[in-house]
Amino acid sequence: MKRALVHAVCLATSVAAWLALPSSLWCQDQRVPATDAAAPAEVEFFERQVRPVLAERCFTCHGEKKQEAGLRLDSPSALVKGSDNGPVIDLKNPSTSRLLTAIGYEDSELQMPPDPPGKLPEAEIAAIRRWITAGAHWTADAPGAIAAADHASHWAFAPIRATAVPKVANEAWPRTAIDRFVLAILEEQGMAPAPPADRVTLLRRATFDLVGLPPDEAQIAAFANDPAPDAFAKAVDRLLESPHYGERWGRHWLDVARYADTKGYVRLAEERRFHYAFTYRDYVIRAFNDDLPFDRFIVEQLAADQLPLGDDAGALAALGFLTLGRQFTGNKHDIIDDRIDVVTRGLLGLTVTCARCHDHKYDPIPTADYYALYGVFASSEEPIVPPLIARPAGDAQTAAFQDEFQKRKQALDEYERKQYAALLDEFRARAADYLVKAVEGRVAPQQPLPKAAGEIRQLVVERWIDTIERAGERDEVFGPWHAFARLKKSEFAARAAEITTSWKSASGGSAAPRVNRAVRNRLLAEPPGSMVDVARAYGELLAQVNERWRGLVASAAAAASAAPERLADADEEQLRQVLNAPNSAVAVGMQEALWQYLYDAPINNEITKRRAAINEHLANTAQAPPRAHTLVEVAAAEEPRILVRGNPTRPGKRVPRHFLTALGQGEPRPFAAGTARLELARAIVSPNNPLTARVLVNRVWALHFGAGLVRTPSNFGLRGEAPTHPELLDFLAQHLIDEGWSIKKLHRWIMLSNVYQQASRDVADYRVRDPENRLLWKMSRRRLDFEALRDSILSAAGRLDLTLGGPSIDLASSGAKRRTLYGLIDRQGLPGMLPTFDFASPDAHSPQRYTTTVPQQALFLMNSPFLVEMAKAFAARDDVKALGNPADRVARMIGIAWGRAPSHDETKLALTFFEDDQRASASGGSLDAWEAFAQALLLSNEFAYVD
Amino acid sequence: MSIDLHTALAIATGRLSRRELLARSGMGLASLALAGLLPADRALAADVEAGPLNPLAPKPPRFAPKAKRVIHLFANGGPSQVDTFDPKPALAKYAGRELPSGNLPTERKTGAAFPSPFKFRKYGQSGIEVSDLFPHVAANIDDIAVIRSMVADIPNHEPSLLLMNCGEARLPRPSLGSWLTYGLGSENQNLPGFVAMCPGGLPIQGAQNWQSAFLPGIHQGSYVDTQHSEVEKLIEHIKTSQSPERQRRQLDLVQAFNRQHQSQRQGDRQLEARIQSFELAYRMQREAAEAFDTSDEPAHILEMYGPGTQARQILIARRLVERGVRFVQVWHGASQPWDSHNDIGDHEKLARESDQAIGALIKDLKQRGLLDETLVIWGGEFGRTPSMELPNPLIGNGKINGRDHNHHGFSMWLAGGGVRGGMTYGATDEFGFKAVDNPVHVHDLHATILWLLGIDHERFTFHYAGRDFRLTDVHGRVVKELIA
Repeated sequence: MKRALVHAVCLATSVAAWLALPSSLWCQDQRVPATDAAAPAEVEFFERQVRPVLAERCFTCHGEKKQEAGLRLDSPSALVKGSDNGPVIDLKNPSTSRLLTAIGYEDSELQMPPDPPGKLPEAEIAAIRRWITAGAHWTADAPGAIAAADHASHWAFAPIRATAVPKVANEAWPRTAIDRFVLAILEEQGMAPAPPADRVTLLRRATFDLVGLPPDEAQIAAFANDPAPDAFAKAVDRLLESPHYGERWGRHWLDVARYADTKGYVRLAEERRFHYAFTYRDYVIRAFNDDLPFDRFIVEQLAADQLPLGDDAGALAALGFLTLGRQFTGNKHDIIDDRIDVVTRGLLGLTVTCARCHDHKYDPIPTADYYALYGVFASSEEPIVPPLIARPAGDAQTAAFQDEFQKRKQALDEYERKQYAALLDEFRARAADYLVKAVEGRVAPQQPLPKAAGEIRQLVVERWIDTIERAGERDEVFGPWHAFARLKKSEFAARAAEITTSWKSASGGSAAPRVNRAVRNRLLAEPPGSMVDVARAYGELLAQVNERWRGLVASAAAAASAAPERLADADEEQLRQVLNAPNSAVAVGMQEALWQYLYDAPINNEITKRRAAINEHLANTAQAPPRAHTLVEVAAAEEPRILVRGNPTRPGKRVPRHFLTALGQGEPRPFAAGTARLELARAIVSPNNPLTARVLVNRVWALHFGAGLVRTPSNFGLRGEAPTHPELLDFLAQHLIDEGWSIKKLHRWIMLSNVYQQASRDVADYRVRDPENRLLWKMSRRRLDFEALRDSILSAAGRLDLTLGGPSIDLASSGAKRRTLYGLIDRQGLPGMLPTFDFASPDAHSPQRYTTTVPQQALFLMNSPFLVEMAKAFAARDDVKALGNPADRVARMIGIAWGRAPSHDETKLALTFFEDDQRASASGGSLDAWEAFAQALLLSNEFAYVD
Repeated sequence: MSIDLHTALAIATGRLSRRELLARSGMGLASLALAGLLPADRALAADVEAGPLNPLAPKPPRFAPKAKRVIHLFANGGPSQVDTFDPKPALAKYAGRELPSGNLPTERKTGAAFPSPFKFRKYGQSGIEVSDLFPHVAANIDDIAVIRSMVADIPNHEPSLLLMNCGEARLPRPSLGSWLTYGLGSENQNLPGFVAMCPGGLPIQGAQNWQSAFLPGIHQGSYVDTQHSEVEKLIEHIKTSQSPERQRRQLDLVQAFNRQHQSQRQGDRQLEARIQSFELAYRMQREAAEAFDTSDEPAHILEMYGPGTQARQILIARRLVERGVRFVQVWHGASQPWDSHNDIGDHEKLARESDQAIGALIKDLKQRGLLDETLVIWGGEFGRTPSMELPNPLIGNGKINGRDHNHHGFSMWLAGGGVRGGMTYGATDEFGFKAVDNPVHVHDLHATILWLLGIDHERFTFHYAGRDFRLTDVHGRVVKELIA
């Protein structure tokens, strides 16, 4: 208890100091070159002669702030770790250490420090040389050790702990366990909770919380007059059963899921809409309404395609959680990064994408973990036509729709398949051109542009480089390539002959790996003078073999005999596989071929046009059955490679797909190809993972109280805030799991507590001591978010259309009377009022909404055509107009807007306004006095805040 | 702070003058302002607005700033350096032939050396050479620092626009203007702190160019389509459909209700902040209309800026910074007007549209004593190749007289706001292809801009998604040589 309290009250003031702490690099490698046991003389030599040189000459680029080439020289563990290019010191053979090569200017390619300032003075070089030769003694770096200890004890990685419900002095106050956890801390501080809120306030609070709408007058009256002891529990149950509950909480989840209806910036002809995003939104609404267990909800959102769904394919829409992110003009690395982000921050409260370029600086998340997850998502792709998730109805109209759909789909399929086959054939036939280009190495990825006929497609070049690297030095086909590639240009011809000669002399049984006979013969027949020659030889050979294969296939087809299965000669068959295996360098996926503009431009345009024709038919036809933006596993998925410093042109070592190391015991278990997403989902909801339940409980708590028990809801890592009530957080997390992950139950536990039912009253002394109400000495007053505000305005005006679900609507259009969550979210053109009112940015996962107060919000409320229309409608409601007496009418309108009767003074203010308006010479413009009064109520603070 | 109903009522209905109220209540002027009862008095209301609830309240930078405001003239599409601010006579020697140094890779294929068809002349005391495209700008050359060694990363518009605006080529990151209003607030609460003007539609990448990304939404640039001249088309919801007097009376009623509500809910600053926001909005209607209406400018000023949309929007930019708007971005036009792939002759028309007004802006700011604290930036997202773009049957329309994008080296210039005038910094190679002397990466430019505004780019951070983000990421060098 004490510890929690310290966190609770200190954090607010210590944040600034805490941010200024030096960052400590988390380091996998705990070996250090020397220990504290180093001889004192050596320590002194290092401290006097070496460390100052490193600090002055090296740390600017290789220190805490910058790590050029991934290298730090400011701690022994970092020194041992080396740079992106490998170790920089070699303690076994110190004189060959790359660090010495670099500072000695021994290699023209590697000179450090670079010019300017240029080479170090000889004395300094000599000192560093002596130090490394003597074993690079350096006192062990304490920060690393501390960091490791922090990880082990960090509260969020620890298992959920069952804590006894605390004892309190005021036994009369608590109603539930939650109350005891909160009261115990308040009592330690000598503070008391607030008295209960009055019934009208409580019902308004509960109704906005659960359905995002105000209670109507009948509901208020019924609740206020219900003498039953469980009146509030019944009210909560009624609200949880409302279909509008799913709309309210579904929208909260859409913030987590960075939901949008468009892809963000797209280039040229690419489709900008996700036509079926709404099916994900409706899935989420349904999941909340059905109280789908949260663990199941997660598994469906990550891997519904791998679950036995039976007849109901509706859950496929759940995959929108992954697929509906920004599309980054098709850059797959960024798309995957966004998916890793939404999964890890959204579900686990961990900032895993920090590890894209380097190990996480604060949390135990190595780069290898990032790429382990990268591999999970890299092996999935979206089907070209989103699958149906409901059966089309069988009437005639639908049949016509289906016929047209099939016609358009066939037009696409026939054309695209033909062009796709031709494209791959061209890549095969031109293998030599591509391999020659591959010799030049990787280039930084550029945005794809339309291609002219015959242009080399760099993407395929990169794939060839991957293929050759993957094959490795002992590969029968590409082994010789690697051997030649090691030669320096100047001595190529001479040394190349040595290599080919060695094949001739090699006898069976030697350790040298076998070389494909066709490759060997070709290179022996025409000895290469350069790598370009080597590339051309390979390419021509591969193309020849492929031609022969095509000939065989064609003649078999002509003779109507069975298609050949392989080439008779095993070595030739091995070469055929290079061009025809599913993971061949030329076998670019069909989607990728289009998005990366691999086709000649006119063909790319034609395919895009035919795809658009289908989309148009689906989107613009009311009977179009709903589809879902799903994922499927690709056949030949490879194990992911670490991209060094996140750079796609620098693929590093391979890592198996697996879950985060820090959340498991020991080495993580690799996921199987084909089921990786499902295994990831299961790991996330495993009862052994303490984060998922804590993160969810915290999000739900934050939406009921205005702030979470952890105030960094998407960062539970070492730089996040500690919980104000850690035992309570664990208590609720465990309870949630034990009770089958029911979110509706969680609402009940929270709302039936006395903590939730407190009044939002002020205590000046408490406000000074705990201005943010972290200890929950009252209910915090909250402003309606934009959805609740706009929906309430429509509701007051009697114009709210409560239809559930369906395609998104344009919020800015004058006919838009649906609930706000059905507005179309266009990443490239969000209607201005949304960002103005702190709507969650759909660019990336949103941890929580901001609450800003700016005049642009007021301008919208004062002047937008929407408000003017609503004010008129409010004043024109039948139940308002029916009242002839102005005071009665004022009371009625205040009742609608504020859910209570006006005070005597308020009525007087209103009536005075009408008197003055009659006397005033200034014109009311488009609003008469009653309409202006109606708008005034919609603008008031009481309308916009919930106590 | 509470006020009795009769007094509130009297104020709300105008039966009691403010002066009478002061006399009657014995309240000090400041406390009255705090109570929100002096809606029309901007100076007083500023005390209230400075609270942390208003994210746009002015905040002092870390150290004394040279510049307080910024006008960024964005020649979107990529203006050619060798035709504007970076003369390369050596190109004439190789005209029509291959450059001896070869062509660097850019977006498309380029061929022979392509000398500029425009003449360069020396201007001012400094004798800096500028082409005939920008004579009016050149007339102010002694107030301008030309950077001839700008470098970006990628020869495509989209990533380069995002890099120039947000310091990151692909991922959603806050733009420079939103960083500035986040860090410094804005000096005029009646206008948006960050205005992005572009006539006739959006540039490539649209609103992402002025996005606030993970900063609160209020920091994103307010887009203004300057092809319109009526204020209600320029700023959303700026015009009431009631008469101003009626709206005032309506607001007085709202505020009287709010005071009633607030009197039972002591100690809640957010209620007060929202009350104030309505008063700000009320004043904004008048002030914004004035700021965007250039018709009250004297004839000689209108003449100095010249005719046309560019002139009007650049003049509006001056009016905005004069009123304390923190960051004004002026885009040349929708899409990418400066993207002269097929015909560099197009540069002539584009320069003619903007040169006079840009020259006038610098002169005008100087005359008003505003140039010292207003940083003016001109440039595109990258430059263009000194070699001619080869014909492309898919994109061009037959003309072969243009240049491709070039991120390896290009020119931008800065003026005012503590910048040393009459200097050039850095250089491209003999032909203007690549920055070779003192390259200035976009990150370096950002670091320098922030420094001029009193901000250390390495310490200016926003904690998000587990780490402290900076405009300059882990890069950036303040180019001290550019600073007076």
